[in-house]
Amino acid sequence: MIWLTWRQARGQAVTAAAALAVFAVLLAVTGPHLASLYAASGITSCHGGTPCDTAASHFLSRLAGTSPYPVVYLLGIALILVVPAIIGMFWGAPLIARELETRTFTLAWNQSITRTRWLAVKLAATGLAAMAITEALSLTYAWWADPIGKARDLAASVPGLAHPFTGGPLSSWVFATSGITPLGYAAFAFTLGTAAGALIRRTVPAMAITLAIFAAVQVAMPLWIRPHLIPPERTVVSGPSFFESAGLSVGTLQATTVPGQPSAWILSSGAINAAGQPVSTIPAPCLSSSAGAVGKGAPPNAGACMASRGIREAITYQPASRYWPLQWIETAIFLALALALAGCCFWRTGRRRTRRAQSPSATPRQDTVAASPRRGSRA
Amino acid sequence: MSAVIETSGLGKRYRRLWALADCTLSIPAGHVVGLVGPNGAGKTTLLNLAVGLIAPTAGTIEVLGGAPAAGQAQLARVGFLAQDAPVYAGLSVADHLRLGARLNPGWDAGLARGRVGRLDLDPGQKAGTLSGGQRAQLALTLAVAKRPELLVLDEPVASLDPLARREFLADLMEAVAEQDLSVVLSSHLVADLERVCDYLIVLLGSRVRVAGPVDELLATHHLLTGPYRDPGTLPAGQQVITASHTDVQTTLLVRTTGQILDPAWTVSEVSLEDLVLAYMSQATGRRDRGGRRHLEVRK
Repeated sequence: MIWLTWRQARGQAVTAAAALAVFAVLLAVTGPHLASLYAASGITSCHGGTPCDTAASHFLSRLAGTSPYPVVYLLGIALILVVPAIIGMFWGAPLIARELETRTFTLAWNQSITRTRWLAVKLAATGLAAMAITEALSLTYAWWADPIGKARDLAASVPGLAHPFTGGPLSSWVFATSGITPLGYAAFAFTLGTAAGALIRRTVPAMAITLAIFAAVQVAMPLWIRPHLIPPERTVVSGPSFFESAGLSVGTLQATTVPGQPSAWILSSGAINAAGQPVSTIPAPCLSSSAGAVGKGAPPNAGACMASRGIREAITYQPASRYWPLQWIETAIFLALALALAGCCFWRTGRRRTRRAQSPSATPRQDTVAASPRRGSRA
Repeated sequence: MSAVIETSGLGKRYRRLWALADCTLSIPAGHVVGLVGPNGAGKTTLLNLAVGLIAPTAGTIEVLGGAPAAGQAQLARVGFLAQDAPVYAGLSVADHLRLGARLNPGWDAGLARGRVGRLDLDPGQKAGTLSGGQRAQLALTLAVAKRPELLVLDEPVASLDPLARREFLADLMEAVAEQDLSVVLSSHLVADLERVCDYLIVLLGSRVRVAGPVDELLATHHLLTGPYRDPGTLPAGQQVITASHTDVQTTLLVRTTGQILDPAWTVSEVSLEDLVLAYMSQATGRRDRGGRRHLEVRK
């Protein structure tokens, strides 16, 4: 059975391996130079504090302007996000649907092997391959992006990091493409495709449904689900120094960093006044105290002015230390979903014992039967 | 003789339509059984139930004394060839044989190789490029080489041209002769069944109209032609299957184990096809002898 699974998936497997190899070569070619840039940046020789932050920030700015690093960085993230969807569409959806479409299931299911075993081997072998490929991609990329990640963590308290290296480990794309979550996404996408194929019984619509659902889940996860996997932390910051620090976006009074929590994932933030009402701009009296100071950063003394008026900053966030707990929870959720979808495939392909006819009157007259040859000839 | 397929009140419903309803039959072992009936009679549904591809909505079915597709052992005992003989288009002939060898403990590699060689199938050729006849032969090879006790064939020759049809059936007969196989084979083409079957079941509207060894059926059915006569006046023991009348003449198909003694009748033999068509037209209440047309309307 493993042989048959391999024989049927051989073409797809070779394609996937080739694509992975091409990307790995790209990383292998650019990786060493990236590492040498990192070594030359002075980050490794500094001993903590502001010099390190500055060196890291400088390294990232320089990298952002050096082709092809920004492109490879984004390409890697995009690839790890897209590969599970492709696997779900091209490995998952046809797994059962194509057998039904070409009616080869009549051949497969009449060999001396139970349908349960047939499906178990197919799901396990192909599903594990899907997970392995995605995780291999993610690990290769993590190796390549390691200097960027280190520099970003060092420079986390420095505002305005160079695009595209802004997101911390908990930011939407970085989180979903690093650690062990790619395993969960791959397993989920693959079984989603398989279950869609088993339910819809046609390959192409199943592929479309798979893509739509998986993309929706990928968007919904960081927006609405991941922030609440662990109840977020909430802190209220007051004092003039924070309002004058660069950890605040002046236009909206929203925090860009959490004091004492580098690389934290900020879910929401905003200034509130003494009465607890939200404040979205610097109050006019505080602005006028330093007329003409428009531009970068809050005007001098505006911080003290706001602090004296009782304005504080409320921040809801997930600390960076929750990276691994969140990784485990999210991966477990997707693996559980994958198991449920696999169960759905077993239920669908198994011999579903429909209820017995309730009464003899449910039996139609024979001419009704004879008049429905198309239904009758359906397997 | 034991039964290879035994059903009781068997029914299968697809959403609201019953493809097979209240079907009770027993198919004896050791025969090549022809299951004949118009499209929609429930043949395919019955055979799919027998190999466990679908589960019954009502009633019970036993195949070789076990539940269809109940486990590996049961699956190994039954070979199946589905309508239009689907094969994996992307796999070569040799791949199909390897598939059979890997998935069947009782696989007879010598038999499979011998058949493929004899049938002039190129082992390296992709199954998707085979002709319809070759594809059917390949699928039959897979079904036979797993050494089943019962071979179930659903309309195996319906899509083949006459020559391929003849070759396929001759080949099937050879396989049956070599192995100790019971065969159940469905078709709406009576001429094909006549060539290979020694037992016949006419199924119409889920019901068995007539069943028995072909020899016996032919020996007990007679076509009577004579002056006009009311069929009700025939002697007891002569069961009228169909009757047609003109002003002066009556033609009857009767079933009797006895002799036809009335000298008024011209007695002639019936062909299997006439016999089947007679039962079919009887079931639908049609009295015309154009049963053949009736079959085609049904197609």
